[in-house]
Amino acid sequence: MPTVLSYFLGFTAIYILMCWAIYLPYRVGQLYFTTVACMAIVAYFSGFAAREWGWPFIFVLLVGIAIGAIIAYILSHAIGKAPCFTVVIVGLAFIFIVKTVIENWELLGGTVGFFGIPPVNNLLLIAYILLGIVGFVIYQIDHSRLGRAASVVFVDRDAAASLGVNIKSLGMFYQTIAGAIGGMAGVLYTFLLGSLSPEFFAFAMVGSLVCMLFVGGYTTMWGVIVSAPILGGIPILLPVTISSWRQVIYGILLVLIILVRPEGLITKRMLWNLKGKNRYKTASNLVNTRREKVG
Amino acid sequence: MEVFLAQLINGLALGSIYVLLVTGFNLMILVARIIQFAYPQFVVLSMYACWEVLRLTNNVFLAVFACISTSIVLNILSEPIFRRITNMKGIDINASFVASLGIAIVITDIMSHSLNYGFPIAFPTSWVEGSLARFGLIMISKGQLYALAGSIIAVLLFFYLLYRTKQGRLFRAIAENRFAARLIGIPIVKTSIFSYFIAGLLGGFIAILLSLLLGSASPWLGEFVALKILAVSIVAGLGNLRGGLVCGLCLGVTEAMAMGYLSGSWSNVVSFVIMLIIILIKPQGLFGTSIS
Repeated sequence: MPTVLSYFLGFTAIYILMCWAIYLPYRVGQLYFTTVACMAIVAYFSGFAAREWGWPFIFVLLVGIAIGAIIAYILSHAIGKAPCFTVVIVGLAFIFIVKTVIENWELLGGTVGFFGIPPVNNLLLIAYILLGIVGFVIYQIDHSRLGRAASVVFVDRDAAASLGVNIKSLGMFYQTIAGAIGGMAGVLYTFLLGSLSPEFFAFAMVGSLVCMLFVGGYTTMWGVIVSAPILGGIPILLPVTISSWRQVIYGILLVLIILVRPEGLITKRMLWNLKGKNRYKTASNLVNTRREKVG
Repeated sequence: MEVFLAQLINGLALGSIYVLLVTGFNLMILVARIIQFAYPQFVVLSMYACWEVLRLTNNVFLAVFACISTSIVLNILSEPIFRRITNMKGIDINASFVASLGIAIVITDIMSHSLNYGFPIAFPTSWVEGSLARFGLIMISKGQLYALAGSIIAVLLFFYLLYRTKQGRLFRAIAENRFAARLIGIPIVKTSIFSYFIAGLLGGFIAILLSLLLGSASPWLGEFVALKILAVSIVAGLGNLRGGLVCGLCLGVTEAMAMGYLSGSWSNVVSFVIMLIIILIKPQGLFGTSIS
């Protein structure tokens, strides 16, 4: 397989994973960027473990997922039910701190980067199997009590709380899963590229992920599957003169999509119409029917 | 002790600029109900305009005029976008954050691609040159003192506008209760547009003070400052003007102290670690927030 194509496929998988990691906490109304910091930490950890300690890939993967989840779990005790912008700034500040620590740590290569990570056979296959597993888990979560509870929390926190939803533990649950997915994406990224640079885990990364999530649609998990290959993957195939403007395109697209189609390209209503079910249940409808039942 | 004094003055100058930025940011939150993440980017773009005019004409007054008018124009231009977003049904304040994030990305990337070939700009030092006092290696420059004096005046003027004039009362009424303000006949849209104008004016002034204090700007200054401003306003409590005043000054002084006693790249992390810890302990902010 040509290198460019394998990069395209690999980055698409990583971007979809990362977008899902942001999509999940946004179900309860939190823009959770800490997952990018988890990804950076785990990426450097896995690179170091593979090069210096010679750990096998599968072991690195499991430990990486665990590290991501543990970081997110510890932080979620404080920000489990925090307002959206508190979560945003915790994420951004955490990314900044992690980036500065990496840049100043000689052991991790500093600003130059970290090189010489041993390659893994069939990485793309493993990546897509993992992607399938994560997608299946998210689908199950979305169609369980947890997913419905999250939809209600997104629309009206007070109503959700009065219906018996524990907002904090729900937020903690979603954040921990997001951290684990971030860790997984970090390991895959490390072995896909074979080298690491602190520049990648910067503000631009957050912007790209938010763009993919909101252009694709944040109400369903399927939106990013459409937007990540187009927005994240295709710039890899394009010549540098065009792809260096990708951030401008991301920004303009982000503003346009909010103005024209605020829920993104693929919405819940669209999926329901596709399935041919005429009765469309929004979360607010659910709350209202529940209220009628209670009243 | 000398280092301490010099860094204290430096920190106060930096902190009062943060106060101005947080105040403009909070004004947008309170009156226009948006999170204007791109506000510092507008400021940095105005600094670029100031620099460009200064380079072409070498006329300070023209440069100041260009700076302030750029900032006002940018803020007023962004108004229709945000008004459309805030008027949408079922869309909350997060959407305005995401849209302004998009604007911020576009401005940063255009600056890093096209303006001055992406290199940082440096203002001519002739008008801020000369130290007033010198303590060993550290000196207090004229630029720092101008910035300190200018920002104190700007803060006083702004709070005078807000608490002593009729327009300020309209702002506070809308911030207090939007619905009741509409009921008693306050023109919401007009006042909201005026708040963009005030924020733009403030932004232009901040751009001048920043060019005096820093003497340079880079495309990434905007997002770096935006991060700090959002963090300060969260620490103080979103939309809390007095909290922003206290926390902005504290951030400036902390940063200057860290700069004085620690090595370069770590000094920025210190303030972020402190803010992160405060946010984790008190997610609602130190002084409470009025935004749900």
